[in-house]
Amino acid sequence: TLRLICTTTAVQRKNVGASGPEKYTEAFIKKQIEEFNLGKRHLANMMGEDPETFTQEDIDRAIAYLFPSGLFDKQARPMMKHPTEVFPAQRKIQWGEDGRPFHFLFYTGKQSYYSLMHETYEKFLNVQKHQDQLIAQDLPLQKEKRNLAGSRWLTKIELEEMLLEKLSDDDYSRFIQLLQKLVALPCADIEENYIQKFSKEVPVQLQKVVIEPLQYDEQGVAFSTGEGKRKSARATAVVYDNGTGKITVNGTDILHYFPVLQDREQLLFPFQFLGRIGKHDMVCTVSGGGRSAQAGAIRLASAKALRSFVTEKEVEFMRQAGLLTVDPRVKERKKPGQEGPRRKFTWKKR
Amino acid sequence: MAAPSAAGLGWRLRAWLPRIMPVRWNRYNPSYLEPEVKKESYQKPLEELTEEEREQRELKAVRPIKAAPPTLSSSVFSDPMISKFTNMMMKSGNKVLARSLMSQTLEAIKRKQLEKYHKAPENEKETIECNPYVIFHQALKNCQPIIGLTNITKGGKTYQVPVPLTDNRKRFLAMKWLITECRENKHRRTMMPEKLSQELLLAFNNEGPVIKKKHVLHKMAEANRAYAHFRWW
Repeated sequence: TLRLICTTTAVQRKNVGASGPEKYTEAFIKKQIEEFNLGKRHLANMMGEDPETFTQEDIDRAIAYLFPSGLFDKQARPMMKHPTEVFPAQRKIQWGEDGRPFHFLFYTGKQSYYSLMHETYEKFLNVQKHQDQLIAQDLPLQKEKRNLAGSRWLTKIELEEMLLEKLSDDDYSRFIQLLQKLVALPCADIEENYIQKFSKEVPVQLQKVVIEPLQYDEQGVAFSTGEGKRKSARATAVVYDNGTGKITVNGTDILHYFPVLQDREQLLFPFQFLGRIGKHDMVCTVSGGGRSAQAGAIRLASAKALRSFVTEKEVEFMRQAGLLTVDPRVKERKKPGQEGPRRKFTWKKR
Repeated sequence: MAAPSAAGLGWRLRAWLPRIMPVRWNRYNPSYLEPEVKKESYQKPLEELTEEEREQRELKAVRPIKAAPPTLSSSVFSDPMISKFTNMMMKSGNKVLARSLMSQTLEAIKRKQLEKYHKAPENEKETIECNPYVIFHQALKNCQPIIGLTNITKGGKTYQVPVPLTDNRKRFLAMKWLITECRENKHRRTMMPEKLSQELLLAFNNEGPVIKKKHVLHKMAEANRAYAHFRWW
């Protein structure tokens, strides 16, 4: 363990990785890990389970069983996690006994960021050199396009965690721009390994929602339910098969409940989009909100109910048409010192 | 304090966090894309126009999509231009009234055109356009100015400099001129649909006060051609 004898201005500035003297030495963390593993085996023995296959979820369940706590905040309850999750990752001290820093970019203040930029630019120049070589030999440039839609770059927070250093938004955007330039070159496949460190897979299909199967009522008619909301209106819709296209809202016909054409158009939107106007019957209940909000809520509820009647491709088309997303727009609140959410008080010169 | 937005996909995936005060344009995460309502665009098979379209499709499959607004629908009767015009005609949020005025205008146009059609001789019957939507679109197109003027202050004096306009700005100016023309320069007792239908038919034939205003603007731009180099963008 090295005690800080003299500090430099670089260290005095708040740095994520080196905040204060090294609180957790490597030996300390190793000891914590050993203790954690021992404790895990003890816990498995206590619960009567196999110590070799005792996962983190089992640990959480065991701790919740042995130490029940009524505290509301989940972070305040007793927990047992791996030391690397509990103790934040910290940088080791960056200088030796004589006070001379190890890294050549230490005095820039953001050494890992600048060294990363240097490395990436080096790869960029490599790729350009390779490209020039291929052109000189008249060989065709490889043009396999990377699937851009299926992956995304690391976010600023993830990059900060990777480098153990605080970044500014500017720095982050510069780094991403450099990466994009690198990827845009035709021969970027050479540095594929390096680029993959900074890109993450996005789930290709955003269909994480489970589509419920159809239910059948007494006469054998298939039906399905859906719930929707918009502003403060809540609606539930039950869509029946083999219908004549009749729609009932809160016991009354839509022609009486929604005298305005726009609302009726919104109700029929999902059916018209799928081409099933005369084929389904609908019974809905709605409360809260205003006239347009109720129509939007019923539209969402009916679209959700129709998912069970329709193929997966059409569900994806409905999602891309914006029928299955909850509209998050609500009335903006009024602020103090202003007359409304945006309108300021009349400015008087005197 | 405020509820998080509809992008509840976990904080790691989006570095964007909802602000403490939700504001009109940030209720949606910036990665949300606009919805595509027309049925035909989903029925096209894979042999599409360009690679761009294919990329767009892939992108849409991955990104979340905003909810369709209540004015937008996949039926044949919803037209984005007509809804924009209706919104511009609306006063104090009375969308019901604005929409009814719009439909009465279209009806009035259709009636006038049908009258003309039935009175016209055989050979001219094909040239008369009866579809009110076509007339509306053509009239708007005819009213759009090509070049506009902005004030640029240089050396203490403000000059009117000719400047190219974006598509959105052209459409907005055309619609604004039509509406102001109808509201102000007509007799007090005439109804708005009547006034609007008159104006639209005149604009469709490249006559009328709105077209004149457009020509005046063009002439002013031509006259101030000398100051065009003041523009720096």
